[in-house]
Amino acid sequence: MHIMEGFLPWQWCVVWWLIALPCLMLGIWQLRKVINADREALPLLGVTGGFIFVLSSLKLPSVTGSCSHPTGTGLSAICFGPWITSVICAIVLLFQSLFLAHGGLSVLGANIVSMGIVGPLVGYAVYRLLKDTSVNIFLTVFLATALADMFTYVTTSLELALAYPAEVGGFASSFVMFMAIFAVTQLPLAIVEGIVLALVFKYIVALKPDILIRMKIFSEAQITAARGEA
Amino acid sequence: MAKNYTLEILAVVAILGFCAVFLYTSSTMTGAEFAGSDNVGSGLIAEFSGKDVESFTPLIPQWEPPSGEIESCLFALQAAIGGIFVGGVFGYWLGQRKGLSDAKVNQ
Repeated sequence: MHIMEGFLPWQWCVVWWLIALPCLMLGIWQLRKVINADREALPLLGVTGGFIFVLSSLKLPSVTGSCSHPTGTGLSAICFGPWITSVICAIVLLFQSLFLAHGGLSVLGANIVSMGIVGPLVGYAVYRLLKDTSVNIFLTVFLATALADMFTYVTTSLELALAYPAEVGGFASSFVMFMAIFAVTQLPLAIVEGIVLALVFKYIVALKPDILIRMKIFSEAQITAARGEA
Repeated sequence: MAKNYTLEILAVVAILGFCAVFLYTSSTMTGAEFAGSDNVGSGLIAEFSGKDVESFTPLIPQWEPPSGEIESCLFALQAAIGGIFVGGVFGYWLGQRKGLSDAKVNQ
């Protein structure tokens, strides 16, 4: 989902930076609050952040003759919300733009918006919608993580289509063509990512259920039920 | 506690299914070179803007890994950083649980 350095006109770079910066500041403020309130949240942050590092480094060939990488942001969005997730993503994306020439400093804002803000926001919204329903919590995690991944790529397509509308058909036809490249490749990867992260969540539930209950990520009854069936 | 491996089985099936579809499509597609979707996207940008891909130069000067091997190495490093955190914390939680149950036995 990286937009490469130099591929976005500077006006758009500024626009996406302006959107990204307040979200990052909110994230840093929330992060301090969460950690000051409960030191035991720190290991959970380590795990969810760790998965963003691992998954976003995997360039996988997908079924369309093109490679792409999962994002891993859904788990963190569920546990800490989208703003803290955007801070972790900013670190990963900074690493990739400084050392790997994936993305770049001017387009960092645009990449943070797609991977760190819109994707996690969608994942978080799905989680909030399904949280208090009778839907199995692992299914909730699957849907939230898979959709967070998908919408990261939808956002990238949107960002590119806004900057480069097609001559014929304008923004819409350009959006469809970028979607064809990014989203189709991403669909199978998003499904696999969702299942893998649901599995990871099962291990977190098995090992450290109390932190999930204390942070009110899921209710005690839901966690107990999940432990019973797991 | 009865063990239920539904999710593990699902994960294995999904990954195997993904590989099967991948092998099938890559055998039927000729000339697919598995370029990153980022690069394919950059090609489309060039098409829409009517400029060459080469004419897009970084707005902010950027260091590029000198070779594909070094790039792979740095990607692996990124995965390793994440892996250390994940493994470390799971180990910490496991140790915590064990410490708690040992403490109960000792009481």
